[in-house]
Amino acid sequence: MEVFLPIAQVFINPIEILLLSAIVGVLSGLFGVGGGFLMTPFLIFMGVPPAYAVANEANNILATSVSGSTTHWLKNTLDYKMGFMIVIGGSIGTALGIYTFTYFKGIGKIDTVISLAYMYILAIIGTLMLVESLGEIDKAKKNVIERKKLHVHYWIHGLPFRMRFPKSKLYESVFTPIMIGLVVGFIAAIMGIGGAFILVPAMIYIIKMPTKLVPGTSLFVTIFVSVIVTFLHSINFGSIDLMLVVMLVVGSIVGVQVGQKLGEQIDSSGLKALLALLLLIVGIIIAYDTFFVEEIQKETIKSLNQDLNFFSKFIKEFSKDMPFFYGLFSILFAVSLGIAAAFIRRFISNFRKKYFNKTLKQTK
Amino acid sequence: MPEIIKKLPLEIKKNKLKTGVAVLLSAYWGVIIAGTLISF
Repeated sequence: MEVFLPIAQVFINPIEILLLSAIVGVLSGLFGVGGGFLMTPFLIFMGVPPAYAVANEANNILATSVSGSTTHWLKNTLDYKMGFMIVIGGSIGTALGIYTFTYFKGIGKIDTVISLAYMYILAIIGTLMLVESLGEIDKAKKNVIERKKLHVHYWIHGLPFRMRFPKSKLYESVFTPIMIGLVVGFIAAIMGIGGAFILVPAMIYIIKMPTKLVPGTSLFVTIFVSVIVTFLHSINFGSIDLMLVVMLVVGSIVGVQVGQKLGEQIDSSGLKALLALLLLIVGIIIAYDTFFVEEIQKETIKSLNQDLNFFSKFIKEFSKDMPFFYGLFSILFAVSLGIAAAFIRRFISNFRKKYFNKTLKQTK
Repeated sequence: MPEIIKKLPLEIKKNKLKTGVAVLLSAYWGVIIAGTLISF
């Protein structure tokens, strides 16, 4: 069973997309990493053009980060002030990223640039994770307890315009979060990822935020960055395909919840090496695709509006005639799905607690 | 420096896993860097 995507102009199997996004969601929930840098390459392997894969994955990330951030908002584990500072840098970075994207699209090199960017990012993350996990295994074997320094100061801590961040109990230069946001926004715009793999270590090791505030604040920043990325991609290139977004969001939201539950029950540190290997394998497949596979001129499918069903026709015309409102609609759609998922999760969790408490009382 | 070179075969034998990973990662990075240079 194949479905035609009216905007990306390709046929895809919806079950495959749902399964893949669910698997990536599980990995994402289990290891606490964003799924963007795995899902976008998978979409590319399935035939979705890279420029469309990037834009639609950004919209999917928006839904999942809204879902995660709402949960942290309900638990009060968010530093808004720090988050907004990173968002300022993120907005500038995203605008620069879209400008770069437009330039490479103009000269017809955007697909190669996206593939190369993924190849290197996956190689860097995979290598670092593999080395780290081997080190952890080694230390566990030798029973080594490492004493870490309490405070390490980098040049970045000497920057001017310091500001108090009461929630994180920090007195930090505003330039530190702005610069980190700039890098994250730039990468997010070109690669369609949330940037948690940069944000989380930067918040812990450079900004030195309390660890319990890091995941929520990182997701909070990701919401704003992915809103800007989705909106700019939609109005500049008309590349958001709501049919693809629905499949991605449903699969990943379910997958993330399963992954988080699994993560509470099993020790995922031993599995880190396996995830690192998976990243390196995906990186080498992209390298093979980019360097060795002969460029096949893909037949462009010129679909006439008459061939499409009502929903596909509506999406195509809406995107073409009103790109501004289509962009806004895509954002609101992802945000509503994310909030709904967070509340459903809370409802199920409360229901389970009540049910288990009742059964426990009855057994006593 | 010569001390390290003398001990190298012994270290490689001791840490087979680490050596294997280091060799594979070097090959991996070699392929992607060479590929990038050739494709541009």
